[in-house]
Amino acid sequence: MVVPKHILGTFDDALTSLRKDLLMMAGLAERSLDRAIKGLLQRDDDLCTHAIADDEEIDQLEKQIDKDGFEILLRYQPVASDLRRVISAIKLSPNIERVGDQATNIAKRARKLNRHPPLPEVQMIVPIQAHAMSMFKDSINAFARENVELAHSVCSRDKQLDDMNRDANRKLTELMMEDREQLRGYFNLILISRALERVGDHATNIAEDAVYAAAAEDIRHKSLAASV
Amino acid sequence: METPEQTVMERLEHGSAPPPDAEVPAAHTFEVKNVSIWYGEKLAIDNVTLDVAANAVTAIIGPSGCGKSTFLRALNRMHELTPKTRMEGTVLLNGEDLYSSTVDPAIVRRRVGMVFQKSNPFPTMTIGENVVIGLRLNGVRNQRFLNERLEKSLRMAALWDEVKDDLHKPGTSLSGGQQQRLCIARALAVEPEVILMDEPCSALDPIATAKIEELIYQLKARYTIVTVTHNMQQAGRVSDYTAFFYLGRLIEYGPTTKIFTNPGEKQTEDYITGRFG
Ligand SMILES: Nc1ncnc2c1ncn2[C@@H]1O[C@H](COP(=O)(O)OP(=O)(O)O)[C@@H](O)[C@H]1O
Ligand SMILES: [Mg+2]
Repeated sequence: MVVPKHILGTFDDALTSLRKDLLMMAGLAERSLDRAIKGLLQRDDDLCTHAIADDEEIDQLEKQIDKDGFEILLRYQPVASDLRRVISAIKLSPNIERVGDQATNIAKRARKLNRHPPLPEVQMIVPIQAHAMSMFKDSINAFARENVELAHSVCSRDKQLDDMNRDANRKLTELMMEDREQLRGYFNLILISRALERVGDHATNIAEDAVYAAAAEDIRHKSLAASV
Repeated sequence: METPEQTVMERLEHGSAPPPDAEVPAAHTFEVKNVSIWYGEKLAIDNVTLDVAANAVTAIIGPSGCGKSTFLRALNRMHELTPKTRMEGTVLLNGEDLYSSTVDPAIVRRRVGMVFQKSNPFPTMTIGENVVIGLRLNGVRNQRFLNERLEKSLRMAALWDEVKDDLHKPGTSLSGGQQQRLCIARALAVEPEVILMDEPCSALDPIATAKIEELIYQLKARYTIVTVTHNMQQAGRVSDYTAFFYLGRLIEYGPTTKIFTNPGEKQTEDYITGRFG
């Protein structure tokens, strides 16, 4: 669909710049998460440091989006799709910011793990991070493309991620009991798995807002509402 | 080098889901069916069908010349005062055909009051006389009744406290916003069933506008109100339902919240968001 331009050009510019900042923020969060995971799997402290550095920029962008979003509401009093886009940008950015926080969290734990001999159980993280990363990427794509179907698919993938995290948690806890030597290492892996599970939660929030932005439909807490 | 923003942008393509249909109101004051109106050869309203919800505010929006005033005037047969107009279709007011040959247009205009953009108190009359002129023209002579109705109407129009000591001053001595509320009091004095307003605030400052909007909100408990407005934010604030007209046709009609957050028609979306159609 080709969206025609606003008669008021400055309004178009403001909306475009808000969207650019949001996509920039999402791109940085994606990169930060990717670097943190690679830092862990490839035992590369430099990548971990880069991942942590990205987070500062993400935080700045979150503030910028808040400020610009409120200014657009005040100045242009947007309606319809414009209103939905501004509101969802304001709601999306804290979720992206938290994904950045989880990336930092993972990067810091990876640096700790890298100081010790490699644990083969790191491989348990591989499918979990792939699942979480694909949910996050798809949630951002769903928002940017206003693709409702894709957004729904993100939400429905969250349960699987929860299950993966729970399995990993159980196995790693068992290993902690058996091998007290590696207790710290396993503990860090448990927390990394949990951080990835959180990434899935944020991706789900983002996907829900993407549906709202595209079609003004509120899909949050659907099962809850249905059971009342 | 590629920026992170570009990596996201790269994956993008456009597409959006069709929005759900609008809901329809329940109890109706007007039922407008297949109404078309011509000025001479010119078609001004093109086959409009719409039910106006009772005890609610319906806003009519659309670009200049799209037929908002013409449509509004058809709801109390006022357009007939313009020479060479022709109308097809039916308008029911609480189930009764407004255009039936047995209906007196003067009675229709009493049942369906109208307030215009430029408030026009009769210049030779006092504030008090302006309010009760409609009753006087209908032959009411009882002074006590007139005084009661005068106070009641001015109170309902939220003007009583401001003018109660100045009822003998000319209507034109009031400010623009007060004059507009005086005209609303005049419309209320004959106890209509419906109040039509044609851009009632477009000549008023923000404070006077807010007072009229507050008044509209108060009045809808007792009256059905249909208002034409150019001000999108005003439509959003005061109305329960919004009808969007374009080139004489009704493009979309539904709950205001729906129209202003998720309109079903692209033409509506382009108009209310201020885009080039
Ligand atoms: N008295 C009239 N004679 C001829 N054409 C008219 C007359 N009044 C309105 N029109 C035409 O009918 C169309 C609708 O006018 P109107 O109902 O006043 O639109 P709006 O209130 O939306 O600005 C316009 O094209 C206008 O030029
Ligand atoms: Mg008009």
